[in-house]
Amino acid sequence: MNDAQVKMATRELNVYYGEHRALQDVSIPFYAHQVTALIGPSGCGKSTYIRCLNRMNDLVPNSRIEGEVYLDREEIYSTSMDAVELRRRVGMVFQKPNPFPKSVYENVAYAPRIHGLARKGTEMDQLVETSLRKAGLWEEVGDRLSLPATSLSGGQQQRLCIARALAVEPEVLLMDEPASALDPIATQKIEDLIYELKSRLTIIIVTHNMQQASRVSDRTAFFYMGEVVEVDDTQTLFTRPSKKQTEEYITGRFG
Amino acid sequence: MDPNSLKRTRMRYRSERRFKLYCAMALVLAGVFLVIFFADIISKGYPAFWQAQIKVDVSYTQDVKELPFLAVGEDVSELISRSWFRQLPRKLNEHPELIGTTRSKWVLADGAVDQYLKDKPNGLDKEQKNLVDRLRNQDRTKLAFNTYFFTQGDSKLPESSGIFSAAVGTVYVMIVTMAFSLPTGVLTAIYLEEFARDNWLTRAIEVNINNLAAIPSILYGLLGLAIFINYVGIPRSSALAGGLTLGLMSLPVIIISSRAALRAVPDSIREAAFGVGASRWQVVSHHVLPMSLPGILTGSIIALAQAMGETAPLLLVGMMAFIPEAPSGFTDAATVMPAQIYTWSSAALRPYAERTAAAILVLLAVLILLNLTAVFLRKRYERTW
Ligand SMILES: Nc1ncnc2c1ncn2[C@@H]1O[C@H](COP(=O)(O)OP(=O)(O)OP(=O)(O)O)[C@@H](O)[C@H]1O
Ligand SMILES: [Mg+2]
Repeated sequence: MNDAQVKMATRELNVYYGEHRALQDVSIPFYAHQVTALIGPSGCGKSTYIRCLNRMNDLVPNSRIEGEVYLDREEIYSTSMDAVELRRRVGMVFQKPNPFPKSVYENVAYAPRIHGLARKGTEMDQLVETSLRKAGLWEEVGDRLSLPATSLSGGQQQRLCIARALAVEPEVLLMDEPASALDPIATQKIEDLIYELKSRLTIIIVTHNMQQASRVSDRTAFFYMGEVVEVDDTQTLFTRPSKKQTEEYITGRFG
Repeated sequence: MDPNSLKRTRMRYRSERRFKLYCAMALVLAGVFLVIFFADIISKGYPAFWQAQIKVDVSYTQDVKELPFLAVGEDVSELISRSWFRQLPRKLNEHPELIGTTRSKWVLADGAVDQYLKDKPNGLDKEQKNLVDRLRNQDRTKLAFNTYFFTQGDSKLPESSGIFSAAVGTVYVMIVTMAFSLPTGVLTAIYLEEFARDNWLTRAIEVNINNLAAIPSILYGLLGLAIFINYVGIPRSSALAGGLTLGLMSLPVIIISSRAALRAVPDSIREAAFGVGASRWQVVSHHVLPMSLPGILTGSIIALAQAMGETAPLLLVGMMAFIPEAPSGFTDAATVMPAQIYTWSSAALRPYAERTAAAILVLLAVLILLNLTAVFLRKRYERTW
């Protein structure tokens, strides 16, 4: 399975917040059409890491980054890569659902419009529908597109955020604890969705939930204190971890 | 419960009641002052909305063009406002067909007659009073709604003076103030909140802006005088000079309230927009600005109301003057409502006193309306994310 193509990778990635070094020499490859889970105790740098993959961490004042991040062999921090174009290719879903305070339709149509991906009218309507379908939300909200997004339930809002990210047809989808604010049923829907989406794009997901990591991911990376302790097939990592720290974490002895 | 703690509980209750009483008393005191203030100003200002008129026989003759006083009987001519006589020649020139006719008309009475009819101290002598009494018995006097107050500018004749020129001046000044301080203030706030990096320079600017909001307003008058009039060469007393001066004064208030409104937009919205590949300007103009607009507008309306009631800085740019004509441009000499109130309040003649109060009432009504708009905006667009 691991002879699959590498879609994204970091090499010797270091991130500093002022003097504080939040990530140390993190090198992980992400394979195309696979789900990679990032796990580890709170504060170990998972969010920092995933935000480096679409340069969202650039926006944090005082942060500094060293090392390389590749998307299809192209270095994303090099000057030839524009952060706006990068974020179209590498979408993101956040921990707390954060729809725009606009209609459901507007939420999905916004990104395609600013990137000029679809013309107003039927073309855009079509794109909104397919995006909502991909996010498994069309059945629930297809007839209420003009409703304010904030009136949806938490789980629906999160799937709307996924639809919004999918509308620009990204190649990679980053998800930072996408289900941690949701109830078990909504979580189940998100997990099913991740499984379906895998065929279209590469997914990197941060999760605190070990069961979730083992259910949805093909590979798992274990972070500890800003370093990657172990990266392996999920199956291997959860059944035969090679590092002691990994074993202690997944068996719940710390973290 | 042991007696000691029981006692402490009782004392705690008692001091709580006492404190509550003090607070209530303070509230009552403030309320009483407010009621006294409104009662006083309304009772003083209300009569100004009614103005004495006298019914006389007006004979339009050729001579009236030269000597307007001849149009009415010699006895009553002293009771009629000179401003009414002044417009007669022009009227006859415009309507020559009137010449040779005599009509019975209600005409504007002199200010002293007006005060006499309102039982106020006045300058009429015994004979004139008897005459007015006679006219009153013949139903030839009345107090009619004072349209002059709203359609005329300031005048040396109290009975024909009004707030029109000051109101127009205020509108011109406010247009300049807002045109200058709203875009400047909002753009500054956007730059500081959304674009600037957090370093010593932006922090120094922030501290200075906060200090500027607390500066006595008369200093802005000095600044306006030095910059706009002496340096740039904008005409004294003009709406442009006054408006820019008040604009300088409103700027810190608008910047501070706009920044607060921008900061109230949660970062999750900015992240969401950046996350789908919006540029920084798109994030601001598509999301942050629309969401903070009600807050920005509320702050701006309050700044506007503040500027509208301001007098001190305008004193220094020469807007506190006798200006009977409404300005017809931004560089014409103009005066504003509070300046008009001040001018009238120091005038000697009695009828000006009630006009002072009436002008205050008009200004108050406008300010209350503005503040209600601000409250309405805030309530209407209050949103939770
Ligand atoms: N904006 C910031 N400024 C300064 N330090 C930060 C900032 N964001 C994160 N950090 C620090 O970087 C380290 C990693 O934080 P990060 O949010 O990446 O952890 P995490 O693994 O996502 O934790 P959690 O599981 O709780 O979300 C922490 O020590 C944190 O204090
Ligand atoms: Mg995190």
